[in-house]
Amino acid sequence: MNIVGVAACTSGIAHTYIAKKKLVTTGEALGHNIHIETQGTIGTEDKLSKEEITAADVVIIAADIKINGMERFKGKRVVEVPTSIVIKSPKGLITKIATDLGLS
Amino acid sequence: MEINNVREIINEQLINLNLKASTKKEAIEELTADLYREGNVINPKKFIADVYYREEEGQTGLGNHIAIPHGKSDAVKITSIAFGRTVKDLKWESPDGEPVHVIILFAVRNVDKTTVHLKLLSQVAMALADDDTLNRLLETNDKTEIIQLLSQEMK
Repeated sequence: MNIVGVAACTSGIAHTYIAKKKLVTTGEALGHNIHIETQGTIGTEDKLSKEEITAADVVIIAADIKINGMERFKGKRVVEVPTSIVIKSPKGLITKIATDLGLS
Repeated sequence: MEINNVREIINEQLINLNLKASTKKEAIEELTADLYREGNVINPKKFIADVYYREEEGQTGLGNHIAIPHGKSDAVKITSIAFGRTVKDLKWESPDGEPVHVIILFAVRNVDKTTVHLKLLSQVAMALADDDTLNRLLETNDKTEIIQLLSQEMK
């Protein structure tokens, strides 16, 4: 499936980037296309394009704070989780989402 | 990647494989003392207070016996990390409830929000997303390997 998402944590220093890396590594290993934007202290990186969002089957918001640009995902299936869930069990999360969407 | 920047972020002097600490508080204090000695932190007391401010906002244990406390603080002169390891079981809030043996303390300057250093720190964090990397960090006694492991995502 096509996955887009945003990662953001409280201080924007570490968990944001661990979560992004785990989502991308795990998503790709499971055969999905995945793009994750980070919103950290350094600012927004790997910003999602309109095309990526349009093509996405699901949006994963891995965040401990309110993220910027939530309106971009209006009408999409959005799964919101804290970064801790992604860090602890990325495979379980993505597998469950795929199953729930009937796309596994 | 500027090799000098990597060495400012992490170097052998900021790696302590035999922490004396037997509690989370002592570990943070001991690693802060290393950062102070190297001139990266100018006010240890204030820095520790800012680390604890972050601790209040959510757990910094990653699981797999690793924790990443961090402080964004005016007391930091050079954005950098201190690496500490102990054979003792440190009690730490972690997703798997396991004791912590490796502590990677991130010291971040309050200003200069778009520095190269901050980018490098985010790449250190990305390196910690890999379980094999975490296992090596728990085992190796080679400080050069620790630096390589932490900088593997730097491009």
